[in-house]
Amino acid sequence: MGETHNIQRIKERINNIEDVLASVAAGDNEARINSETEDDLSGIEAAIDLLIDDLTDELIQREKMQKEVEDKLSKIQEQQKTIFQQQADLMELSSPVSKVWDNVLILPVIGTLDSQRTQIMMENLLEKIVETGCTISILDITGVPTVDTQVANHLLKTVTSARLLGAECIISGISPAIAQTIVHLGIDLSSIKTKATLQDAMIYAMKQNKLSENVKLQTLFTDPDENED
Amino acid sequence: MMQLTSNTNWETIDKHLIKTEHDIVNVRQQIRFCAKQLNMGIINQTRITTAVSELLRNMYNYGEGGEVLIQKGMVDEHNALIITCSDQGPGIDNLELAMSDGYTSGKGMGYGLPGAKRLVDRFEIESEKNKGTIVRIMKWN
Amino acid sequence: MNTELHEKRIPIIKIGNFLIVSIQVDMHDKLAIQLQSQILEEIEKTGAKGVLIDISVLEMVDSFIGRMLSGMASMAAIMDAAVVIVGMQPAVAITLVELGLEMPGVDTALNMEKGMEMLEKRIADEEYEI
Ligand SMILES: Nc1ncnc2c1ncn2[C@@H]1O[C@H](COP(=O)(O)OP(=O)(O)OP(=O)(O)O)[C@@H](O)[C@H]1O
Ligand SMILES: [Mg+2]
Repeated sequence: MGETHNIQRIKERINNIEDVLASVAAGDNEARINSETEDDLSGIEAAIDLLIDDLTDELIQREKMQKEVEDKLSKIQEQQKTIFQQQADLMELSSPVSKVWDNVLILPVIGTLDSQRTQIMMENLLEKIVETGCTISILDITGVPTVDTQVANHLLKTVTSARLLGAECIISGISPAIAQTIVHLGIDLSSIKTKATLQDAMIYAMKQNKLSENVKLQTLFTDPDENED
Repeated sequence: MMQLTSNTNWETIDKHLIKTEHDIVNVRQQIRFCAKQLNMGIINQTRITTAVSELLRNMYNYGEGGEVLIQKGMVDEHNALIITCSDQGPGIDNLELAMSDGYTSGKGMGYGLPGAKRLVDRFEIESEKNKGTIVRIMKWN
Repeated sequence: MNTELHEKRIPIIKIGNFLIVSIQVDMHDKLAIQLQSQILEEIEKTGAKGVLIDISVLEMVDSFIGRMLSGMASMAAIMDAAVVIVGMQPAVAITLVELGLEMPGVDTALNMEKGMEMLEKRIADEEYEI
């Protein structure tokens, strides 16, 4: 009788051990066996409790570390965002588009042109054209030391897009070095109007302006050079 | 044949069958909406919408219609919009030719495929004769 | 089918010698083709010398609509009418260029007023030549 009772007790305790282990596995850091009896089995139970202590300690430690790393990461990402924003702001500042006189916009570009900066410049210029209704714009690259294929293509794209909007874009200030590079790279700029200096470009723009003024006044003046067909 | 990039973590936004011209109009409007939701600028919104319009029209013209899958997820650490257009049409015989500017087998201008490729950040195409064509494009800001 | 197309018909207005068309909807292909023939018929009927197509609210022009617009210009030219595309958005222009459609030979204007001036200049030039 006493024998079966004992076996029954031991079975219950083993079941309890299994339950505790299952709880721990499921993420309960507090579950322990905490046996109160003193016999052969209680040694094992105490050892298991100790093991669980170690394990949960380590788990808690690891979670803490992971959270710290995640916090740091999101802080870095936040900082990176600010830096990107500042870069974008700076780019916008460094390519100011201004309306110099009636119907004419000038965009002086200074410094090295990379692909991203050229892209932002292009967008700014096109927006400004639509906003002001100016039909002539001058992109002056006197202050640009070099031009690579990608940048030249962006410039070309700017001029073509401006034409689709209904505006003419002239590129001025092409230095001998840039002219050489452009030809060496095999870039065809023949479809766009280029002028050596900003002054030349302005004189051209003024002529164009006068031309359309004259049409408005219905005078019969036409410059043979400017006839499109 | 190239393997399409895919990722089980991408979240499916929507899926449509393309059977009529109206489907093309509806889907491209949804694409613009999704691009906006991903905080893309107006130019990138226009780029992805236009690229999708080209692919859908090809599917409609040459592939006897098909299916478009709209997903979002990470691609090379970018938050991307991923569009997959698949059809069970005749497939493309010569991919290199089809991808070149100005080539058309019909009466188009032949700028759809190469143009769409220029408008997106990643362009993948898989096609098998008599089986169909899959084009997957990805765009991020 | 017919009624549906009719509903979405894009209105063409005549002012003086010119036709004015303002595209307000995202066009599907059939609508675009229909607009093309509608404009040509109107040119014939009214003897208009110029057409202004305002696309300032169009958010997207793909190769199909691009082709329709440039085809429109060539066809009208044969009928002795000039077409000016007015008000294209910057994002649309950049996208078109990247797509590869530079639309050579298509006249463009920033706004209606500038487009009108262009057409008037053209007609004045022609009269001067005679
Ligand atoms: N989904 C497709 N199934 C079968 N063939 C296709 C498919 N998409 C494209 N093609 C083939 O590839 C060619 C090139 O396609 P692309 O879109 O570049 O030009 P297009 O459709 O002919 O003209 P555009 O797009 O300029 O109107 C097509 O003419 C067609 O033969
Ligand atoms: Mg196509």
